[in-house]
Amino acid sequence: MAKVSFHHNDGNVDVLEVDPGTSLMRAAVTNGVAGIVGECGGQAMCATCHVYVRPEYLDGLPEISEDEEEMLECTADPRDEDRSRLGCQIKAGEGFDEIEVDVPASQI
Amino acid sequence: MTAEAIAARPVPTADWVTIEDLYRNPFPIYRKMRSEAPVHWVPAVNRYMVTSYEACHTVENDQEIFSADETNSLMKRAMGHSMLRKDDPEHDVDRKSYGSVLRPKAIKEHWNAIFQANHEKYLAGLKAAGPGADLIWEYAAPYAAENLRLVMGFHNATQEDMQRWSQTMINGTGNYADDPDVWAASEKSYNEVDDAIDEILPYLRKNPDSSLLSGMTSMPIPLEAIRANMKMTIGGGLNEPRDVLGVAVWALLSHPDQLAQVLADPALYPTVFEESVRWVAPIGMYPRETTRDTVLEGVQLPKGARLGVVVGAANRDPEVFEDPESFNINRPKKPHLAFGGGNHYCAGAWVAKASVSGIALPQLFAELPNLRLDPERPAVDAGWVFRGMTALPVRWDAK
Ligand code: HEM
Ligand code: FES
Repeated sequence: MAKVSFHHNDGNVDVLEVDPGTSLMRAAVTNGVAGIVGECGGQAMCATCHVYVRPEYLDGLPEISEDEEEMLECTADPRDEDRSRLGCQIKAGEGFDEIEVDVPASQI
Repeated sequence: MTAEAIAARPVPTADWVTIEDLYRNPFPIYRKMRSEAPVHWVPAVNRYMVTSYEACHTVENDQEIFSADETNSLMKRAMGHSMLRKDDPEHDVDRKSYGSVLRPKAIKEHWNAIFQANHEKYLAGLKAAGPGADLIWEYAAPYAAENLRLVMGFHNATQEDMQRWSQTMINGTGNYADDPDVWAASEKSYNEVDDAIDEILPYLRKNPDSSLLSGMTSMPIPLEAIRANMKMTIGGGLNEPRDVLGVAVWALLSHPDQLAQVLADPALYPTVFEESVRWVAPIGMYPRETTRDTVLEGVQLPKGARLGVVVGAANRDPEVFEDPESFNINRPKKPHLAFGGGNHYCAGAWVAKASVSGIALPQLFAELPNLRLDPERPAVDAGWVFRGMTALPVRWDAK
């Protein structure tokens, strides 16, 4: 299990225990975490699963693929060159046991 | 039976629903159904219709219980077994064969210039037809068809072929009455599309371009899957951009305040697009089938239940959208379900947005001064499985 914390703008935090292989998007959607939409089900097609990874957790995350790179240019809230990722492309157990992300104000 | 199933209520029947009423205006029917239960058995449609946002969303995101691979699917008969009727992992193989053709980078690099040229061509046609012309049939339909023809790589067909193929095969997918004439027209198109694919693939192998079919030549994908996916994309990629374009123009022309706001701020066209597909989802309903007994939002469903996922109703669910029956570009932004969701999320969503709200809408309103509805001939909106404008006569002033 990996520990995933979603920080919201109002200060609330959702903390989830997530099975290995499960993406942040899937974990958020199944547990009703507000602010993560995930329209395309994780195909890097919709950019509605945008998250800002907190700097201390960036090391070790998988590289940004071409598809993810393209979608990060289509996010509703501005991209942060270092911290922006798609929640559907980051999976528990792949580069982290614990991660904290900030949820953007808007996904659409 | 699980404890959950015992607590669940049986599915109510909506025997008062008729196809004729749905076709004319489904929204009052959806409103009544949604207020009673999230799912009904509807004898006239021979399906369980899922009308609440929450229930539609659940179905879209659970392909293990709600399979896209429907038994006795008319779509499979009319178009072959495409990705739209497969579950993962089989679906994923087909979907990956579309590569990056329909994604934002390719749109920016290749397709926008082509959409622009097509817009100019069919706008000239509309102007030549003169005030009183029908915006759907003089402009939106050929524009959408020609865009799709080039994105797909059918260099050996015309936009008129695309429109005929699309409509006849769509009629096949909806041929519940088993009308032999409908099947004959649908099969003729089926064969014509196969022949066109057979003819064009060798050409594209020698003269590659950015199209879907060109991409297919280097993909490890069986010809049978290519044929089915192309037919499904002809059926699913033409009427929808045409219809959102028509509905968006009609909505703006019938809401002068919002039109004035958009004319003053063209950055709002993407918002107009999103609100138009929310308000009138071009694909109002699509099918799924349960793989086991289950409970959906508190309602019992048996294994093998044929569902209609009514995103046209979900998009007007008052639990999610305030004053949902109104067209309002200023409503708080919420995700609608018009492009579906989960693994079958529309592959052409970016193409539709680029061609309709990036190019067509802003330029139509800029190029046709004082664009307005024709006071003499009414606009007509119709349909429920697919819904859009069947007539949109417009007038404008000379420049
Ligand atoms: C406003 C315009 C459009 C709307 C509202 C729309 C809507 C949809 C919906 C609701 C689905 C999912 C159906 C289901 O899950 O059963 C879908 C799938 C699909 N659409 Fe669109 N569509 C539009 C435009 C387009 C265009 C322009 C293309 C092609 C260039 C296209 C290609 C596809 C394909 C290939 C799929 C199948 C995806 C899959 O099974 O993984 N669509 N569309
Ligand atoms: S869920 Fe669509 S891009 Fe991540």
